[in-house]
Amino acid sequence: MDHHHTFEVSGAHVSRLEDYRLITGTGCYASDWNLPEQVHACFLRADRAHAKIVKVDVAAARKAKGVLGVYTGEDAVKAGYVKPMSFLTFEGKGGMKARLPSRAALANDKVRFVGDMVAMVVAETALQAQDALELIEVEYEDLPAVISPEEAVSGKAPQLHDDVPDNLVFEQEAGDAAAVEAAFARAAHVTKLKLDCTRVIPHPMEPRACLVAHDAANDGYTLHVPVQGINMMKMQLSAYTGVPQEKLRIMAREVGGGFGQRSIAYPEYAAAMIAAKALKRPIKWISTRSESFMSDSHGRAAYITGELALDKDGKFLAMRIDWIADLGAYLHPAGPVSPMRNPVVCLTGVYKIPALCGRWRVVLTNAGPVSAYRGAARPEMAYTIERLVDEAAAQMKIDPAELRRRNFIPPEAFPYKTPTGSTYDIADFPAVLKKALEKSDAQGFEKRRAASQKKGKLRGLGFATVIENSGAGMFPKDEILLEVAADGNLTAYSVSHSQGQGHETTFAQIIGDALGIKAERIKLRQAVNEKPLMGNHTGGSRTIVGAGTVCHLAAKKLIEVATPLAAEMLGVEPSQVAYANGEFQSKESSKKVSLGDIAAKKLLSATGEGKFGSTFPNGCHVAEIEIDPETGVTDLQSYVTVDDCGTVINHTIVEGQMHGAVAQGWGQIFGENAVYDSETGQLMTGSFMDYAMPKAGWINDMKIYDHATFGTISPLGVKGMGESGCTASLGALANAMMNALRPEGVAPMNMPYTALKVWQALSAAKKGK
Amino acid sequence: MYAFQYHKAKSLKDATDRLGKDDEARPLAGGMTLLPTIKQRLARPTCLVDIGGIAELAGIESQGGVLTIGAGTRHAEVAASGAVKEAIPALASLASNIGDPQVRNRGTLGGSVANNDPAADYPSAVLALNAKVITNKREITADDFFQGLFATALEPGELIVKIAFPMPNKAAYAKFPHPASGYAMAGVFIADTGPGVRVAVTGAGASGVYRWREAEEALGKSAKVDAIAKLAVAADDLNEDMHGTREYRAQLVKVMAGRAAAALAGK
Repeated sequence: MDHHHTFEVSGAHVSRLEDYRLITGTGCYASDWNLPEQVHACFLRADRAHAKIVKVDVAAARKAKGVLGVYTGEDAVKAGYVKPMSFLTFEGKGGMKARLPSRAALANDKVRFVGDMVAMVVAETALQAQDALELIEVEYEDLPAVISPEEAVSGKAPQLHDDVPDNLVFEQEAGDAAAVEAAFARAAHVTKLKLDCTRVIPHPMEPRACLVAHDAANDGYTLHVPVQGINMMKMQLSAYTGVPQEKLRIMAREVGGGFGQRSIAYPEYAAAMIAAKALKRPIKWISTRSESFMSDSHGRAAYITGELALDKDGKFLAMRIDWIADLGAYLHPAGPVSPMRNPVVCLTGVYKIPALCGRWRVVLTNAGPVSAYRGAARPEMAYTIERLVDEAAAQMKIDPAELRRRNFIPPEAFPYKTPTGSTYDIADFPAVLKKALEKSDAQGFEKRRAASQKKGKLRGLGFATVIENSGAGMFPKDEILLEVAADGNLTAYSVSHSQGQGHETTFAQIIGDALGIKAERIKLRQAVNEKPLMGNHTGGSRTIVGAGTVCHLAAKKLIEVATPLAAEMLGVEPSQVAYANGEFQSKESSKKVSLGDIAAKKLLSATGEGKFGSTFPNGCHVAEIEIDPETGVTDLQSYVTVDDCGTVINHTIVEGQMHGAVAQGWGQIFGENAVYDSETGQLMTGSFMDYAMPKAGWINDMKIYDHATFGTISPLGVKGMGESGCTASLGALANAMMNALRPEGVAPMNMPYTALKVWQALSAAKKGK
Repeated sequence: MYAFQYHKAKSLKDATDRLGKDDEARPLAGGMTLLPTIKQRLARPTCLVDIGGIAELAGIESQGGVLTIGAGTRHAEVAASGAVKEAIPALASLASNIGDPQVRNRGTLGGSVANNDPAADYPSAVLALNAKVITNKREITADDFFQGLFATALEPGELIVKIAFPMPNKAAYAKFPHPASGYAMAGVFIADTGPGVRVAVTGAGASGVYRWREAEEALGKSAKVDAIAKLAVAADDLNEDMHGTREYRAQLVKVMAGRAAAALAGK
């Protein structure tokens, strides 16, 4: 196969079928659901980071107007909702078993972070519940808090959970430490960096909410919650509560942003289950934004030391990393897995590095729980490698593009088995880099830098060449069910759930393409409990690879299933029937029957299925920035992306994904940062007054290109691309910043590059000169 | 939020009568500060007296060298007003950069000035332009009006009706927005009022908006932009938070003042 082929896909820019509904306010989000007799819950949250609960006096709250019930840790214990919310089955260093702390749905012995839930009030109205909340008196015995993960495992820190000694949940090693040691010993140059990937708070526009009803007839529950897929939610909730999966119905229509944060079965949902059963009324809860800041899962929080060894010609000899993952006060389901699994798969990045090793420690602190966030440790890994490579290039005075070229895994080496055991199927890194440098006019940069200098500004250009693992998934297979109606229109059913990715459009395009009919005739229904299907949730950029590919297979199967039925109606042998564009035609006569004609007579449906391994989307992003040294403010001048996500189904959706993910990377590099007071454990960035979300006007003029190699895992050649914008942008933007700051004498900095920090670094460098 | 009563005032008198009867009642203009405070249960007014539709608080008028703007005028109206753009373009420009479009379409001049948030934009314009704050009871000069963080000369039951801005020869405003909230971390309004130059700084001072006398003197003597560059800004009296140390705010005050001075000089 020609590796340098760029695919042109028909229907390259297609407007999204769901957009009319979403932008005209006719969507239905979690808080839009209502049920007869519903009542309202609200939560009393800890105002301190670490304390023993001595007494919770709810007597006055119980008597307050409209109050139907007040629940505390005792009720959680009674219900048995106290299990660890996470699982980790593999063994760590020296056969270490993960120490998984239990978490009561409502805290029963201690509170461990600001926002931990102490009690839940249920009342006829939300206002009454809030009023009653203020009548609850909690007696605490304060304990010292630990916020820094490095301190948490120092042996001198306060213990969060009795059964997690030294606050260390898990320790893992990967790679060949002895080979790395030997390589470092003979290296001509070593670059070492401390790279903190800050704790951030993802903010889907839709706040978290739930509406939970108990069905006394079968002792089952219906939950209306934001999800990324119903199977994952059922599995987690069932594991935590002991309610069998078949007795859980998960309802969702629109989900206003997920980013990993909406894949979690949160304890609020379990607490609402307790009240729904006890009161025989549906329980509704809508999170405030302040609660979101405290209690929705946080992201990143990786504290990494990286070392790269090179020979005198700049050939990479070895890389070693030490990674501390701060998971906060409790484990969320995917929390401990992603910072360990994903970085190992892509530890070598896009480079041939003969020797690799890493050490991971998963650590608890008195801060909000951390879980997978768009990229789930792939951005942290790629950021580490790309900062090391860029810094090494600067130290060795080698052009950063040239240093990368010298070390790329060459196109002819694919499929490439990496030193940590994964296999990259196909990629063309030199071509991707070349195109990115051309499209960003990297050659003309020095001229632009000089022009900026004339204006008193500092200009920088930086890039990152990255790879990430996508696809795969923990369910045994992905399934899509297709049903044909008598009018020839189709309904597709999936368990994965869009949170903005545009599945209704992409899936319809794939099915329409396979059947030769218009995408508008295919309706996607997500989160349908009545059609039990196997499949993964939407996360890890896997949906196009799994469910998307299965859409294609289901359509092919539908033709297969319909062919004998068509033959029968046409009165010929199945071999004498040809399918095209929604119709079967007899090769013997000109007679035709459509899919709708068949469906009018017989139930016509097909289920496609498939299981797919890891795919490897990759790309190069080039950022150009200008810094105002008087204020430290950075202005993004241009941003160019060249990505290889395999076949592109819909360029509009790919571009939208890139816009959003790069904005999230930009946010983290320049301002987003969850700050806790290191002494008290109070969340200092608890609102948008202090938490710097990126604003739309700050990022403009992004130029998005692709350079595809046809992925081998899916017959469609797709690789996934929902997260690649995060994975590439952290390194590209940070490298651009250091490219501008390095000539001023600024030493490598940690993100975020806020105006304050940049100004301080420049001032310090000036004084040092 | 706690339960409260709502009263839509028909006139200025209706509003002041209602506020006079109840110490815990609060006037509601655009609600851009009050409503979030109420929603977080940080304020518990018994009654919100909505002064949004009162005719006496509306209107923009330019006459005899004075631009008078009704207290109920929304930021977006000030930003778009031909009369404001002609009389004091810097004021229109200031209004166009407050908050976001939603805030500009709700927030009012009177609300902002009465609240005297130390990081709000308008107080710097009122102070630098030597405006008169006209209430239902009296006229208060800008120098007397602002009295520290969220504190003003307004007495209980006193409402701002309009603000009269003497038209300057020239004026300019430069603002460094807070990276998260968009409020001013340092906003400097410079007005060449004829008799002299007035410089007001918002966002940076530990006690709210203040006049920067050294800058006034320097700019009064020399119209040159580098008049500011030679000044030292003392960091001691400035605000500090995680987004800006005192030293950083001192730098920002100086840089913003320099930029406003440059704009004033037409550079």
